[in-house]
Amino acid sequence: MFKKILFATTGTPSCDAAARVAFDMAKRYNTELFIINVFGIPSRSFSQVITDLRTGDEIDLHDDQLVKIKNKLERRYQQQIHDYNSPHDIVLTDGIPHTEILRVARKKEIDLIVMGARTSTEENTGSVNRHLIGSTLQNVARSARCPVLIIGRAAASFWGGISNIIFGTDFSKGSSQAFEFAFNLTKMFNASLHIFHAIDISSGPFEFTKNQEVIEDRIREVRGMIRKRYISKMEGYNDYEIDVWEGIPYVEIVKYARESFADLIVMAHHTKKMAPPEESVFGSNVEQVVLRSNAPVISVNHPARQKK
Amino acid sequence: MNENIFCTPNPVNDKDALDALLRDKRGQQYYDEMKRLKVDTAALKKLVNDTCRSRIRTWLEICAHCGMCADACAFYLSNDKDPEQVPSYKIQSTLGKIVKQKGDVDNAFMRYAMDVAWGKCTCCNRCSLYCPFGIDMGVLMSYLRGLLFSQGFVPWEMKIGSGMHRIFRAQMDVTVEDWVDTCEWMIEEYEDEWPRLKIPVDKKNADIMYTVNAREAKHYPDDIAEAAVLFSIAGENWTVPSEGWEETSLAMFAGDWEGAKLQVKSVYDAMDRLKPKQMVVTECGHAYRATVIEGPYWAGLKSGKTPVETLHYVEWVAKALRSGKLKIDPAKKIKEPVTYHDSCNYIRNGGLSQYGREIMSYIAEDFREMTPNGEHNFCCGGGGGLNGIGKYRKERNTGQKVKRDQILATGAKLVITPCHNCWDAIRDLEEVYKIGIRWSFLKPLLLDMVIVPEHMKPQKEENEEE
Repeated sequence: MFKKILFATTGTPSCDAAARVAFDMAKRYNTELFIINVFGIPSRSFSQVITDLRTGDEIDLHDDQLVKIKNKLERRYQQQIHDYNSPHDIVLTDGIPHTEILRVARKKEIDLIVMGARTSTEENTGSVNRHLIGSTLQNVARSARCPVLIIGRAAASFWGGISNIIFGTDFSKGSSQAFEFAFNLTKMFNASLHIFHAIDISSGPFEFTKNQEVIEDRIREVRGMIRKRYISKMEGYNDYEIDVWEGIPYVEIVKYARESFADLIVMAHHTKKMAPPEESVFGSNVEQVVLRSNAPVISVNHPARQKK
Repeated sequence: MNENIFCTPNPVNDKDALDALLRDKRGQQYYDEMKRLKVDTAALKKLVNDTCRSRIRTWLEICAHCGMCADACAFYLSNDKDPEQVPSYKIQSTLGKIVKQKGDVDNAFMRYAMDVAWGKCTCCNRCSLYCPFGIDMGVLMSYLRGLLFSQGFVPWEMKIGSGMHRIFRAQMDVTVEDWVDTCEWMIEEYEDEWPRLKIPVDKKNADIMYTVNAREAKHYPDDIAEAAVLFSIAGENWTVPSEGWEETSLAMFAGDWEGAKLQVKSVYDAMDRLKPKQMVVTECGHAYRATVIEGPYWAGLKSGKTPVETLHYVEWVAKALRSGKLKIDPAKKIKEPVTYHDSCNYIRNGGLSQYGREIMSYIAEDFREMTPNGEHNFCCGGGGGLNGIGKYRKERNTGQKVKRDQILATGAKLVITPCHNCWDAIRDLEEVYKIGIRWSFLKPLLLDMVIVPEHMKPQKEENEEE
């Protein structure tokens, strides 16, 4: 299922948990591993000077500098690289992070991107970084032509023994792709598939949220939709559950994941438009789930890339 | 004989030399070598004899040193009215001296002239507007840069930029393959939201041939996709050339006359090959100046015009709004106070001032003009290549004070900057002075408010919920 994994890292502790998963999966599935670090953003017009994403300092696009960054990265992942014990490819580049991650993913025909996410306990990385991590995650998850595995909390960084997969749907087009992927994974692991939807009562007409009967009617309706849309495509695979709860979607899915002993959450990240940077700090449902959940989250938005 | 490796009068023509030069961090060795670079006075004399014609000689001679140009200069104003920042002084003490002394100048003088030509002037030409004799300082300064380039006295980044154009026909190392691949990539990237979007490459006889700034292919590919979406919404029959797609000219800023000619010729060749009715240039200022205003002369076109009629992006947008090809959703107009930065290169030097105002009348509810504006605007502070030159960063930052105060006086927090260079400079201005502004090209703003025709919207899946 995974032949080429791309691990996108800032080379900081916030990506350590993601690194654990990326190397572990690469080893477990015997995949090719690519590591990308977008270390700086162009900020001095056409010149060779860029802004370091970690420190905000000016750095020169310069061979020695690149060697230094590469060494630092290899030191950080020394043990994992040693354990992985297969050739890997480190891509160091300047640019707008999501653009470069997506560019490499497309060029190398990557099957899975693994990324970290900022967490509440993370060190204060400064304003340049804060907005950027949120917007990079959003942009990559939205546009990537392959699933994106996002590791938020360290607790979510243990991949293996997958027996409960949660598929959270909002019935968007992206969700159809996410379902297909979740179902394939379920079969591969011979796991249990929990299909979940949360009716959003945090917004919408007041009458709707006040009236429990309306909510319950809606729950019945949604269960029907799930049967029609997803269960009908499961070729008789019967290890599944359907659950529809009401509440704030990202809170409900995190609670549901905890109660179902989820090993993995699969969702679509289909926000059509980029939120302005100041809002992307708070992020979308997917990001909120990533930050709160103990399980890793895979975002799927598009059909698998057609091989050339 | 010069024993210099990097700092020589020879331009960079091959990739190995370019890579070696790039490896010289911030041009440390380059500038060190420059101190030992011998001036070939005989060659300089000959070049002046061959190229300094009556127009430039007359301008140098008739300058009355009246000082009317002083208050016109953003650098004079932001450097506490330093007399050495008076434009006439800047040109007389450099080009004036070279011409007067028939090229008999020394190394220290040439380095001084370089500091003036790139570190104290952005060739914004505002001073020319106030000169009672109509002396065109931009032309004089550009000419001076040419003389300096011929002797190797040119800032490191400019030498690199000129080399990029000579090798890649682009200001950055973007090859034809990279460019075409980026167009294909953007179609894949946008196909969900814009299912029938195309970026036609090398289509013959299209109505519009669109050309861009290499930075879009290198760092901001969404800009290309946004242009494609807007052309599609407007129903345009358009194309991009596989070769001759790059509109900018750091070679012009470097004073590399030969490199500048090679660059525009690649664009004109694309016009000859594809025979479009018009060319449209992306939101870039100096690209327009290089390819549309000055380029025809470099290429020896007698008409003084590009082979096919050329519009700057703001002209295309204004006309598309006027004709209804692009329709704005009134509810989505910009509500907050917004101001518009006029790029010197196509406003003062290209006469396109009215189009910006026309566009603002369609898209903004509270448009605040800067004072002064239009042809009288002040440079962003980073024009003429200054933005990218590390050696003169401090000078650039100081020079931006005038623009900073202009923006602050409008009360607007959003600055529209339809020029790559200005966009960079205003971004840097915020980084340096932290005045709490945002900046944007026109394309993303237009995409937020344009009415999308039904046939361009993605089809909704059965039962799909938003």
